[in-house]
Formats: sequence, C-alpha cells, structure tokens
Amino acid sequence: MPESIIAQMAVSGALMGLVYALIAYGFQLTFATSKSLNFGQGELVMVSAFFSLTLLTLGLPYLLVVPAGLLFGAAVGMAVERTGVRLALEQRSEGWILLTIIIGLFLFSFAENIWGRDDRPFPTPIPSTPFHVFGVDVTPLEISVLVGVLAVMGMIELFKRQTLLGKAVEAVAADRDAAELMGISATRTVVLSYALSGGVAALAGILVSPITTVGPTMASALVLKAFSVAVVAGLESGFGVVVIGLFLGALESLASFYLGSGWREAPGLILLILALAVRPTGVFGKAVIRKV
Amino acid sequence: MLKRLLLVRGSELVMFALLAIIPLFVQSGYALGLLTLLAIYGILLIGLDVTVGYLGQVNLAQAAFLGIGAYAAGIGVTRYGIGIFTAVLVAAAICTLLGALLALPALRLDGPQFALATLSFTALTTIVLNELEPLTMGAQGLSLSRPPLLGRTLTSRDFYWLCMGFLALVWMGMRNLLSSQWGRAFEALRDSPIATDAMGVGAYRHKVAGFALGSALGGVAGALYAFNFQYLQPHAFVYELTVILLLGVVLGGRKSLWGAFVGASLVALLPNLLSSKTLFQAFSAAGFAMALFAGVRGLSQKSLKPFQAISPIVATATLLVGSMVVKNTEDWRKAIFALMLFSVVVGLPEGLMGFATGFLARLFRVDPPPLPPPAPLDEVLPSRPADGEVLLEIRDLKRWFGGVKAVDGVTLRVRSGHIHGLIGPNGSGKSTVVNVVSGLYTPTEGTMLLRGEPLPIGSLFRAARAGVARTFQNLQLFTGMTALENVMVALRGVYRVPLPLVLLGFGRGEERRAQAEALALLAFVGLEGQARAPAKDLTYGAQRFLEMARALARRPEVLILDEPAAGLAHPDVVKQVEIIRRIRQRGITVVLIEHHMDVVTELCDVVTALDGGKMIAEGTPAEVKRHPKVIEAYLGSEAPGDADTHPLAPEPAGG
Repeated sequence: MPESIIAQMAVSGALMGLVYALIAYGFQLTFATSKSLNFGQGELVMVSAFFSLTLLTLGLPYLLVVPAGLLFGAAVGMAVERTGVRLALEQRSEGWILLTIIIGLFLFSFAENIWGRDDRPFPTPIPSTPFHVFGVDVTPLEISVLVGVLAVMGMIELFKRQTLLGKAVEAVAADRDAAELMGISATRTVVLSYALSGGVAALAGILVSPITTVGPTMASALVLKAFSVAVVAGLESGFGVVVIGLFLGALESLASFYLGSGWREAPGLILLILALAVRPTGVFGKAVIRKV
Repeated sequence: MLKRLLLVRGSELVMFALLAIIPLFVQSGYALGLLTLLAIYGILLIGLDVTVGYLGQVNLAQAAFLGIGAYAAGIGVTRYGIGIFTAVLVAAAICTLLGALLALPALRLDGPQFALATLSFTALTTIVLNELEPLTMGAQGLSLSRPPLLGRTLTSRDFYWLCMGFLALVWMGMRNLLSSQWGRAFEALRDSPIATDAMGVGAYRHKVAGFALGSALGGVAGALYAFNFQYLQPHAFVYELTVILLLGVVLGGRKSLWGAFVGASLVALLPNLLSSKTLFQAFSAAGFAMALFAGVRGLSQKSLKPFQAISPIVATATLLVGSMVVKNTEDWRKAIFALMLFSVVVGLPEGLMGFATGFLARLFRVDPPPLPPPAPLDEVLPSRPADGEVLLEIRDLKRWFGGVKAVDGVTLRVRSGHIHGLIGPNGSGKSTVVNVVSGLYTPTEGTMLLRGEPLPIGSLFRAARAGVARTFQNLQLFTGMTALENVMVALRGVYRVPLPLVLLGFGRGEERRAQAEALALLAFVGLEGQARAPAKDLTYGAQRFLEMARALARRPEVLILDEPAAGLAHPDVVKQVEIIRRIRQRGITVVLIEHHMDVVTELCDVVTALDGGKMIAEGTPAEVKRHPKVIEAYLGSEAPGDADTHPLAPEPAGG
C-alpha cells in the first residue's frame, strides 16, 4: 500500500470532515444557550441546499445565492425554535427531542414531494480540477470547504467575543438566570442561536452539495456524523469539533477504503458510543460537578 | 374492592377473550394478518414504553432491536434449525445482551446524548445487517419458513393465537413488574436520580436493567415478526420505523399497558388509513374537530398556552386541507405522520389513554385497595444500643474543586448514639463534608471509616448500602409519587423475591409488608394521614418530614441531616426537633448540619465548627459557641462577647 494513496484518502476525508465539524458547531451554538439541539438539522441542511439550487437554476449568481441560502437556513432555524423547542424549554421537558425529529420528518417529506426524490447536481463556478500540493491532489472545491468552514466559524467566534449581542449570547450560555436578571432576554438569545445554527447548517449544505449532489437523503448520513463529532468533541468546544471533524473524516475515508464502502458510516457511530463510554462529556468537554 | 377487580382486571380479561375468539368468526386472512401484527407491535411498544415512559428517555433504538431479534430468529431457524420457542428465547437473550451493552455507556448521560447514542445504534444496525452478507444475505433479504410447533404446522390462525399468548404473558409480567419495587424505582429515578442513589436503590443499574428489558421485548417481537412475514430485509428496520413506534407510544399514552396497546393498533392500522382516501379524510376531519374543540376550550378556560391550543389546530387543519388537495396520500406519508405526531405531542402530551384514564377515573371512582395496618415501630426501626463507641471516623479529609479548597483537612469522630452537629458560616465546607461522606463527591484525600471499615467512596449508592442515609438541603423528593411510595422505595431488606417470581406475581406478599412498614415510618414523622397524597402536594414542612421518613426507611447506622430546619416555620421547627430527638431514642447516630443555633444547642451532644474548609472548634454546644474562633468566623473579629445569648440568624442557603 503506497503511502501517497493513504495520505490522499486521509486528506480528502479530513476536508469532508470539516463539513461535519461545521454542522456540529451549529449544535454547539444552540446547546450553549438552551441545552437543546435540532435533531432535524440534517433536513435543514437538505432543504437549504434545495432552496439554493432552485435560486441557481432561476439564474441568480452564485455570490448572491450563498447569502440567500444562509438567510433561508437561519429562517428555518428560527421556525424550528418557535414550533419545536420553545414550548418544551418553557416546560423544562425534553419534548424538544421528539418535536425537532418530527419537524425534520415533515421537512423531509416536503422536500421529497416538492423537489423530487432524485439526486441532482449542484452547479458551482468553483472548478473541481485537482492540483498538486505536498504530494496529494486537492481540488479548489475542497479548498472552498476549508475556507468557508473556517471563515464562518471564525466570524461567529469573533461576533461572540467582540459585539454586545454576542456577549449576551455568551452570558446566557454561562448562566441563563443571571443573564435574565441583567436584562438580557434569554428567549431572544435562544432564537438568535437557532438562527445562527440554521445559517451555519445551510452553509454546510451549500459547500457540500457540489461534492455529494443534492437529494432528500443527502444529509441523513452527514448529520449522523455531525452528531458523533459534537458528542465526541464535547458540546462546548469549537476548536474541538474542528479537530474531531478532521480526524473522523480521515478515519471513515480509510475505513471505506479498507472495509468496503458500506462500512463508511460505521466509525463515526462506533466512536460516538465509545466516547460516551469512556468520556461522556467529550474529549474537549469539561466535567460537570453535580450539585444538590 | 370487588368493583376494582371487576373494572380493572375485568376489562383486560374481556379484551383478551375477545381477541382470542375473533379468528373463530373472522375468516379473512388479511384481517387476521393485521391482528397478528397488532399483537407483535403490542409487545414491541410495551418494551419501548419502559424507556420512553418509565425511564423518561427518548429511545430511538427499538426498531433496531426488532430487526436484531428478527434476524436472530431467522438465522437460527434457517441455519441451525431451532424451533419457535428456542428462537424467541435466543432473540430475547441477544437483545438483552446488546441492550445492556448499549445502555452501559449511553445511560451515563441523559437526554440528547442518550437519544443520539440510540440513533447511532439504529444506523449501525442497518449497516451491519446490510454488510454481513454471509450471515444475513444483505440487501437481497433473508427468507425463512415458520418451523412447526410440537410437530404441528402452524396455520396463520394458530400463529395468531401464539402471538396473542405472548402478548398476554408480556402484559401480565409487565403489570406485576411495574407494580413492584421495580416500577417504583423506575419512577423514582426519573424524578431524582441523586435521591434514588442516595436511597440505595441504584439509578444507573435500574436504568440499564430497564433498557435491557425493553430491548428484550423488542427481540421477542422481532422473532415473532420474522415468523409472521417469513422474509426479512435490513431496510425494514430503519430510523423511520423508530419514529413511527415513538408515535405509537406517545399517541397511545406513556406509562400505560393500554396505551401501548392502543398505540400498537394505530401503528398496525396506519398503512390502511393512508390507502383509503375517504377514510383518511374522515380521520383528519375528526382530528381537526377534536383539536378545535380542545383548543377553544383550553383557551377560554386559560388552561392551555396559546401555542399549545393553536398549533394543533393549525397542524390538523393542514392535514385536512392536505387530504383534500393531495392526490396520492402515500407519497406524503411522512409529512402526515409528522403532523399527527406534532398535534399529539403538543396538544395531548398524556396521549389518548392518559386522557381516557383521567376521564374514566372520574366516572367510576375506583378506590385504591385498602392499606394494611401499620407495622409495629419496634419491628421497623428496632432500637439499637448506643455504646458511645466511635462509629464514623473521618481523617484528614480533603476535597478540592480546581483551586478551591472546599474541605481542607477535616478530622471528625462521630460516636454511636450521638447527635453530632456540624456548623460554620456559608462556604465553610459543611455541605461538602457530608457530600463526600454520603458519596456524592470523591474525596481528594483522606480516610473515612464506618465502624472501623473503610466507607465506599464516590458512590451515593454504595455509601447508602453501607449504612449511610441522608436528607437534602434542597429537597430531593420523588415528586410524582405518593408519600407512601416515597418511603416504600427506600425500604431496606424487604424486597427479597427474585425477578422471575416478581414477573409471575409472587411479589404481592412482600408488597403488603412494605406498605405496613412504610406506614409505620410515616406515622413516626406524623404523616400517617397523608400516605396517599402525592409528595408534590404536601406542605413544605410535611415534605421535610417525608424526607426524614424516607431516609429512616434505610434503617441507617448514620443519618445525615442537611439543614433539616431550613425554611421551616416555627411550629414545624419544633416538630422537627421532636422527630430528631425520637430518632436518637431509637439509637440512630445523627450528623446534623444546621444554622438554627437553638436547634443545635437543644439537640447536639458534640458540635464541630468549620471555617474555610478547616475545623476551628469542637466540643459541647456551649463550649463551641463561646469559642473565640467561632465568634470571629460568624461575626468578624470585633464581635461582642455575648454571642451565645443571641441565636445566630438562619441563612437561606448553606455553603
């Protein structure tokens, strides 16, 4: 087995892993403010990709489609928060798990019937002819994933640290009740985090679509791996999801090479269950002290 | 009594009798197939309800266990030629094992992580079933034929009876189990896992056992499923089925055998509902009418939030409009499930049976079975000789949280039969000391001995088993259960009947004994009149007394009371002091954390004062109160010397 092939598999896998990291980052955003996350995030990724594809086929330029897709994702994220999460949070129950699954199911069926069940290509101006760096082939498409993911994560982290609104998000994440007493509306902050999370997921859809094509089931495997990344890294660390995302992407690329493509999804799933067994708070998570 | 027997057991008997004679009248193979499926789904959903209803966790793995059970039976029959009963047993055993293996890591965390782990398990199962082609035949599917039973080929009618027989057995077994200590433990750990551990019941092991049990039922259903369809494909057991099964449990009603049965009928009938357009339209219209009625009523009575009232109306209206507009309802199957499920989860969280039981209970007013007379107190709480020997010894105990030295080298000797007070200003480390002793925290350093034996560290459960019982500063009652059940959960040494016999209904005798003993303990704290009241409806004072009774049910060697008088009104403080005094009379050693100095002075034999995680004084209450360091700790260095004439003000929260 020549090392160059292994390196090639690992690098392209790792770049795909960044997409998982981006979706997992979206989970972290909402988990920080509300201790909840959207179990239908995969469907959100998928409908955002379909929406962007529709805009593209209508003739809108790519550079306009990207922000429009992000806004669409943010809007869907807010809708999910309103219909699926807010009530359960008010009742302090875990009903949001079930409700977000239900909303995902609805979106799936909706997409299936509106856009059809077939996979469709996603045209993009970014070329996919590979070039050679450090002994491996990389396509500009893959580079666009790298740049897109890191840029948007960096921007959100800056937003959280540098702006007043972002600091409100951090405050609610640190202590919801104290933040409310300081005059920050926790509900609005949760809405904001769901909007950001939806936008991030939409971006993941737009970045990955040219590589995987667009179809109703495009994100079902994607989101499972994003869940794995989020749990393995821990639901707090943005840096952690990038590291684990890269690792998992490379790992599964190698697994599908050695074991057969049917086993492609297996490492992420096993990793998730193992992480819960060995380190339930995640590799980069902090231990929680129980209080009575 | 007779009325109860007639209504509750009678309705079950009538249902099973009806189900048993149906095939004598119905000849249609299609109807029989549906009924068989109903029995199989019934077993499957009763299993799912253990995790979703009783443990309160979102379980997305039940479809996977159905698949694993089905394939285990299928492979067993085709490859090894085993019979039907062996196949069911093998399927159940494999699913129990895999269920326990999955639950061990997954149940260490609650909520989303558990749901994610089960979701991953389902996806992983589909992959394995698809990829292990030599064993499962992969995507092309596995064909099998139903093996004969006792040398007799089973007709579809025989097989239906067999499945119903299994459902009846599972139903009876679960009813026996859930009305035993097991059922109470499940309810308790959902309300407060910490208190469940502290009462020596073991939240984690019950969760794992409950999940494994539910998975085993999934396996049984899977084996029957394999013999019913005689053809298996991996994609029959995917995520979508899991969601439909959840729909069944939630719509039928959680924590209810009837609910699981109603849900199973729904899951079995759903495909038919969708295949006929008129039927579906009628169904949607009925749903819309119900949502509209409930929503308007809830809004006018202000019993529902606007969102709760309006969104089911919108969802069912969408369903109704959709049923008119859409040509092929089958295409929109998932959206239809989604809208139905959404309306139910938001508008009818108790499910159909939850709603119906409340209604029926009002209609018939079935009295609960009468309680036995309380057991004599001397049997429940035998007096121990108080020999004054050192019972609990703590040497140089340290517990640091990062850089914070909450407890920094505390040494204590608690003598048998004493009430040992622990005082100190907020943040002095009192609560941390008792949290370490009771096993909530692992000590950073130090030794803890109970009667000279090392005390188990870092586990509430094992510390409780070793003889340490405690109450909590912030009440940790099992709020959903009655006062009597709260005490019954914690009773030590009463439940001896092994699980298989409990399933067969042999646990009732010890159940009566447990009730009698729990009643005696409730009488001990003056709550005998409120045995049937839900814990959450008791007054605050009564809740504090109930926690004492519950801790006493452990028959502890050491009882730790963490601010038992905090927040109590004066008459209740007097009662509480009286109760603690009577506890000492039974020879139980008490460690008392308290801010009411008069309570401490009145009760304690020895008082230890802490400040900044270190011991600053020890002695009789009078000595400690005069100790200059104690006065300094409470009042600052400029304190007047007459601190002992003023009881120190109670503080809202301890350190």
